[in-house]
Amino acid sequence: MNAREHIWAEAMRAERRGDAAAYEQLLGDIAAALRIVIRSRLSRSGAATHDAEDIVQEVLIGLHMMRRRWDQDRPFMPWLHAIVRYKLVDAARQRQGEARFRGELSFEEWCNVAEQPSAGIDGHRLDVNSALSGLPSGQRDVVRSLAIDGASVRETAQKLETTEGTVRMTFHRALQRLAAAADLEASNTKSAKP
Amino acid sequence: MTSTQDTDRMIHALARQAGVPQSAPSYGAALAAGIVLSLVSAVALVLLLFDVRQAGLEATLANAAFHYKVASMLTLAAGGVLLARFAGRPGSSALAFIALLPGVAILLVGAATDVSGLSILGVSKVSVPSCVAAIVTLSLPGLASILAAMRRGVPTRPALGGAVAGMLAGAIGGAGYAIVCKNDGALFVALWYTVAMAIVTGMGALIGRKTLAW
Repeated sequence: MNAREHIWAEAMRAERRGDAAAYEQLLGDIAAALRIVIRSRLSRSGAATHDAEDIVQEVLIGLHMMRRRWDQDRPFMPWLHAIVRYKLVDAARQRQGEARFRGELSFEEWCNVAEQPSAGIDGHRLDVNSALSGLPSGQRDVVRSLAIDGASVRETAQKLETTEGTVRMTFHRALQRLAAAADLEASNTKSAKP
Repeated sequence: MTSTQDTDRMIHALARQAGVPQSAPSYGAALAAGIVLSLVSAVALVLLLFDVRQAGLEATLANAAFHYKVASMLTLAAGGVLLARFAGRPGSSALAFIALLPGVAILLVGAATDVSGLSILGVSKVSVPSCVAAIVTLSLPGLASILAAMRRGVPTRPALGGAVAGMLAGAIGGAGYAIVCKNDGALFVALWYTVAMAIVTGMGALIGRKTLAW
């Protein structure tokens, strides 16, 4: 730690003398150290690690902007630590803000989606009921028993006091009728919304 | 997605700016200027907004309560200066907060030994709101100039830095208001001057969170 303090502080002084190579070396060393810390932080918190390099760059740019404000008579490592800490907190807060934006669902937005007919689960149930109401009562009973209550053909036949063959035939006719009604409805909405 | 090669290229570009001179006042100089400016603006506003001659300068200077107000506020401000240095310099010790203790001690001792018998609510019904509003108003130009000075430093806790700037500006505003303040009860001063400073401190924290970020 002390050796590093000495080397990095010396590189900060070299930058003021215009020593680009020493400064580049310093930024590279700091970047390597940051990379390790930031990647392990991100993976430990379950966040995606592909942000790591962006955060490294944000810290380096902050350091670069403020480099002349470091007082040469004071230790460099505590100064750098405070800057890194600030930039990491800032990066976390920004990304938290983005995550909140992605997750945020406003009530209006939700209502827009939820109130459109046939979009939600309840919408489907309504559709089924209205479609069934268009069937003759015999067909309706069969479809309700087989498709909605989930009964078998034999159970349905026993319940309606008829034969299994009649149940199959009634169900077949009811499906044809429902399909025709659905086609009609689809072409209606198409012509209504060109 | 950004790769380590991108960072290396960026580092190379940044390194080419090594040695480029940056002419800017040091943080200490900027802070000193900001504090002097806040003192001057507080006193100037007092002279502008209030009728100072009505009380009489000699009578004011002879009043012990005036000295209590000015001493406690300026001692708090002195602590605030040390805190402001701390807030704008990364890696300095948080022990700077101890610097507030002398000013707090003066306020508390004054309030505890208050035998004046004056009401904590002041001499008139409007004492409390007018005193608090006046101190906050006198502090605002100072808050702006101290925040501007802090931007010349390296604030790594923007909200805390803003709060410190607000506390310092509030103490200076309180010292300025003492010139025209007619409420001499130490309890009144200890409570309502502190409330006014707390308001400016909160404003400073809110503003600093945005303006001191970099």
